[in-house]
Amino acid sequence: MKLLQLFGAGFSMSVRRSVAFRTNLLFDVVLAFTGLGTTIAAVAIVFTRTDTVGGWSKAEFLVLIGTYELITGLRSAFIDPNLSWFPDNGIRNGKLDAYLLQPAPSLFLASLSLSAPLALIQCVLGAGVLSWGIGTAPDKPDLYGVLSWLLLVIAGLVVTWALSVLLACLAFWAPKLQLDVFYHSAWQLGRYPTDVFARPIRFALTYVFPLALIAAVPSSALLNGPNAGQLAAGLLAAAVAAGLAALAWRAGLRRYTGATS
Amino acid sequence: MRTLSLLTFRIRQQVLEWSGAWWFLLTLVVQAVIAPLIGLFIWSAVYPDDPSITRYYVAIILVTLMTESFEQHTFSNRVYDGTLSHELLRPQPVVLGVIGENLAIRGWLTLLGAPIVLVTAIALHTTFAWQSVLLAIPGIALAAVLIFLFTFLLSLTAFWTDRVHPVVGFGSQLAFLFGGTAAPIGLLPDGWARIAEALPFYGMHGLPAEIASGKQYDGSLGYQLGWVAVLTIAAAAVWRAGIRRYTAVGS
Repeated sequence: MKLLQLFGAGFSMSVRRSVAFRTNLLFDVVLAFTGLGTTIAAVAIVFTRTDTVGGWSKAEFLVLIGTYELITGLRSAFIDPNLSWFPDNGIRNGKLDAYLLQPAPSLFLASLSLSAPLALIQCVLGAGVLSWGIGTAPDKPDLYGVLSWLLLVIAGLVVTWALSVLLACLAFWAPKLQLDVFYHSAWQLGRYPTDVFARPIRFALTYVFPLALIAAVPSSALLNGPNAGQLAAGLLAAAVAAGLAALAWRAGLRRYTGATS
Repeated sequence: MRTLSLLTFRIRQQVLEWSGAWWFLLTLVVQAVIAPLIGLFIWSAVYPDDPSITRYYVAIILVTLMTESFEQHTFSNRVYDGTLSHELLRPQPVVLGVIGENLAIRGWLTLLGAPIVLVTAIALHTTFAWQSVLLAIPGIALAAVLIFLFTFLLSLTAFWTDRVHPVVGFGSQLAFLFGGTAAPIGLLPDGWARIAEALPFYGMHGLPAEIASGKQYDGSLGYQLGWVAVLTIAAAAVWRAGIRRYTAVGS
């Protein structure tokens, strides 16, 4: 409860900070529109030449893009402002020292205390594309499909947070290792169904760097109905990833000796 | 001659400076190849038996690596933190330093990314005719100039706004869509293809990749040269306006 209050207070402060810069708001809105427009245009071009790609129809692609944008928006709004460029911002600039002195769990403060509310625009647009995809799909999702989509999106968010924490934790062992560009580039693969990729990439996206969980699995559950195996795997992956992130953070902190030492 | 030796010096300086960041450079390689790789997989799924698709996208990956530009980071950050003043005090054009760093980073990306291109080409059984590759060299050189000018032009907006990354990001989206990475221009719907062929983005990626992958050369270097002239004039005009506006701490 206390953490929720802290989260709410941090978000409220971020909103006030963000709306003070209206031009930035305009830039972010325009870029969110054009970014999504580019993605949809690229997919639309593909579907002028075929009816399905990797077994996915245009409507399924739209649902996938909508889900991906929704989760990416949430990541950009709540996770990236905290964990992006963590080796520089968290460790070398000494921000982590300040978190360790505060009376709240350091993992929460380091990973969720700041937010970028303007990035939520992407969620709104994502929800729009999601509705468009559902509207054009021949079979509408049933209640179980929606519920399993919701559960898998939450699981995907937990995995997203855990991956970001694990990546940040690398800084405790290798402070010069900066993998943000790599992470954000690889993240784009989540926008497409894993079925279109070659087998080694498909394996990596499912089991090593589970981006398939972020959007492809929830989208499939929404349109094709719940699959008990997928649901269990998603929830298990979320629990394991969160546990690993917490363990890695604790191990990293034991090793950490302060920015100035 | 003096300009050339100054440029060579800047390139050597930047190559050495970046040599310590090879791990970060590798992540930039991944960033550069990811969009063409996605295009390759998507279009290969649509046309599984067409070798020209894989040849085209392998060429696009190489062209992208050789022509990546990061002036929104290298140049614009100097405007933001005021260190552009150091460059302005040197008895040489500021753009020489920008070009030097650009070429040094491109050299590193090409060197580090070449194995990826090679592995992709071998894995997909892709072969190139050496005549086509040789014919593509002038096109690739002009593509490199075009992308530099376009990115530099957009990065100059740092004189007016602190949102240079969204500005350059918007430019990259246009280049992705109309440049031949999202889809080969020949696969775009008719109206789109005509627009794409008129815009400069096709000359940045798609055109040199098409020539390298065996498309008959049709004198399209003139189109690239035309856009180089337009973008050079635009960049020079925006630079002049921007530098008059520039102020830094201590100035």
